[in-house]
Amino acid sequence: MYRYDEIDQSLVQERSAQFAEQVVRRLKHQISEDEFKPLRLQNGLYLQRHAYMLRVAIPYGMLSSAQLRTLAKIAKYYDRGYGHFTTRQNIQFNWIDLEEAPLILEELAAVQMHAIQTSGNCIRNITSDPFAGVAADEYIDPRPICELLRQWSTLHPEFAFLPRKFKIAVNSAAEDRTVLLCHDVGIELKRGDQDVLLANIYAGGGMGRTPMLAELIKTDMPWQDLPAYLTALLRVYNRHGRRDNIYKARIKILVKALGVDDFAKQVEEEWTHTKITYAPWTDVDWQRVAQHFTKPPYKKLPALFQEQFIQALQPNERVGFMRWFERNVREHQVAGYSSVVLSLKPHRTQAPGDATAEQMNAIAELADRYSFGELRVTHEQNLVLADVESTQLVALWQEAKRLGLALSNIGLLTDIIACPGGDFCSLANAKSIPIAKAIQERFDHLDYLHDVGDVSINISGCINSCGHHHVGNIGILGVDKDGEEWFQVTLGGAQGHEAAIGKVIGRAFLADEIPAVIDRLIKTYVNERYDGERFIQTVWRLGLEPFKQAAYADDAKEKEGVV
Amino acid sequence: MSGLIRFLRTQNPTLTQTDWQIWYPKADDDHVPVGKYIIPFQYWLTHRDNHLLLERALAGEIGVWFAATDDVIDHKQLIHAGQKLWPMVAVHFPIFRDGRGYSTAALLRERLAWTGPVWAIGDVLIDQLDQLARVGFDHFVLRADQDHELGLCKFEQFSVRMQDSWRYPRTLNPIHQAEVLTA
Repeated sequence: MYRYDEIDQSLVQERSAQFAEQVVRRLKHQISEDEFKPLRLQNGLYLQRHAYMLRVAIPYGMLSSAQLRTLAKIAKYYDRGYGHFTTRQNIQFNWIDLEEAPLILEELAAVQMHAIQTSGNCIRNITSDPFAGVAADEYIDPRPICELLRQWSTLHPEFAFLPRKFKIAVNSAAEDRTVLLCHDVGIELKRGDQDVLLANIYAGGGMGRTPMLAELIKTDMPWQDLPAYLTALLRVYNRHGRRDNIYKARIKILVKALGVDDFAKQVEEEWTHTKITYAPWTDVDWQRVAQHFTKPPYKKLPALFQEQFIQALQPNERVGFMRWFERNVREHQVAGYSSVVLSLKPHRTQAPGDATAEQMNAIAELADRYSFGELRVTHEQNLVLADVESTQLVALWQEAKRLGLALSNIGLLTDIIACPGGDFCSLANAKSIPIAKAIQERFDHLDYLHDVGDVSINISGCINSCGHHHVGNIGILGVDKDGEEWFQVTLGGAQGHEAAIGKVIGRAFLADEIPAVIDRLIKTYVNERYDGERFIQTVWRLGLEPFKQAAYADDAKEKEGVV
Repeated sequence: MSGLIRFLRTQNPTLTQTDWQIWYPKADDDHVPVGKYIIPFQYWLTHRDNHLLLERALAGEIGVWFAATDDVIDHKQLIHAGQKLWPMVAVHFPIFRDGRGYSTAALLRERLAWTGPVWAIGDVLIDQLDQLARVGFDHFVLRADQDHELGLCKFEQFSVRMQDSWRYPRTLNPIHQAEVLTA
């Protein structure tokens, strides 16, 4: 994993000192709230419904056990004992005092972490594949590029006041695990002839109130040109993106307005100039960063087979373990190793993505013992131990079970992605967490969940779509109707290469209707599915109509009653 | 005019006074007042054939400022010509969080090869000085309520930089540095 050099370290320390001075001036009323707002946002500090919220960057999802222990400490001493892992591979603390924020930034800097640009109209945390470097389907390890991008975007002077926030994701595997096409810029890395590293660039994706998928604007660009090309792209956006209307200020609106060809042409033209001014990345840059992402000291181990696991288990544990193995364990590049997803979605008890300080410390311990002291954060709000010896899986499962982190629900109905919603967020129209809990309560039966198979449910408390509801197979969006909380349901969304934006199926529901609606949607799928067909495939094959009819079955009954 | 911070590329930042004034004409203002004025580029565009204006420019009394909406690339030729005529150009920030001016300054320096002073004017606050200085600004007319003395310290908060910019190259670690020097 990347280790800061003295340059990175100086920067985060100096940044924390800079913010400490600004906070002092704010507290003395020498800076107005209006002027302080972008300063605090670019240091990760939001003003929420009840308190300040601090969003800490976990660049491309990589975390060391020492860093996780510091996050646990922050949760314990500066917050109320827990943190919330988000859909952008960040962690948020919800109960922060402004006066203490600089101290927290100092604590973070001491373990090579920061909250720089986790908010504000600037380049946000760079996200990537949580299985980078270990995924069996990977073309190339994207993390050196992610790290170079993190450095390049950190405190970029020209792009600190963009029209709106700007999100970059990097993918380099056969499967897309980054929601690449829903980013302002998606970078797809691949190997060209003679193994040269090339990038395809997608631009203009995003969710929010006008969801759009990004379009390809550049192919086969040598990786060295990324800083000059991205400078050109961001410059075109900074100059020509709309600033008159916050809802039309994202790059997707500009790309749409100009047309993708014209936008790409403008970037290309600007690039002919930036390429002269901005030095390309060099092999030395690559080496400096890539040396941190070499393979850990893997042992030579034989691959394990299912029967060997089963023999190691008590008979009453076998079904539980095999379910977990099927849903939470992933194939690894190296024989004898596996990647394990720890579920942060225990049924009913805590909000999706939340982890207590005790859990964080315990997970850090697991990372030390089972996975070279490293872990990753997924955009689905779970954690990953990427390098586990397969012989250790049973022991790890047993420990994770004790910690409430071994629910075998990864990719299933209860692995719900949800924003913090109206319980915390001042933007939200509705609460997401109670809906997630109610759904988990209704579908608590693991036999049934496993039979239903892959379904993604994404819940957002407002149109800003932090819960990525547009790309959920089933999306739930909180809407305000005359001061009441309602929930609109979308269907047909998906992430990955088959990314699609879901469609609204009809009138919104009240919170207590939602579990029954989900139940009817799932039953329709179970009744209509072909053998081996996933929920989303059935939806795409049949279209929305049968699902719509099922969802509004009560409406139809009511109507008949009236007649 | 209130205080001005001058921070040339090769010098330390200093607080100074200036006799230049910035002209924000009202609709019925039909000529530039007497004195040294930085006038809107749009005014220059429509009145540049006016003899009086040209004479004053030749006498070194006229600079121009670009609004956030002015596209400097569209006026490449004029700006090249202005290089010999205007003692400075300025970029106006209608509000501190409108970032267009940063790219305007970068373009003036990089693409239009403007070597003279570039002033930041309008809603210029001390907490943005470092970023402004890096993209190409070297004179800063702070908003009147800003703490000018404190502003002077705002350029020194970072000893390292992650990007190439007009003022500083990216900070390189020693190994990298050696490699680049021998390349």
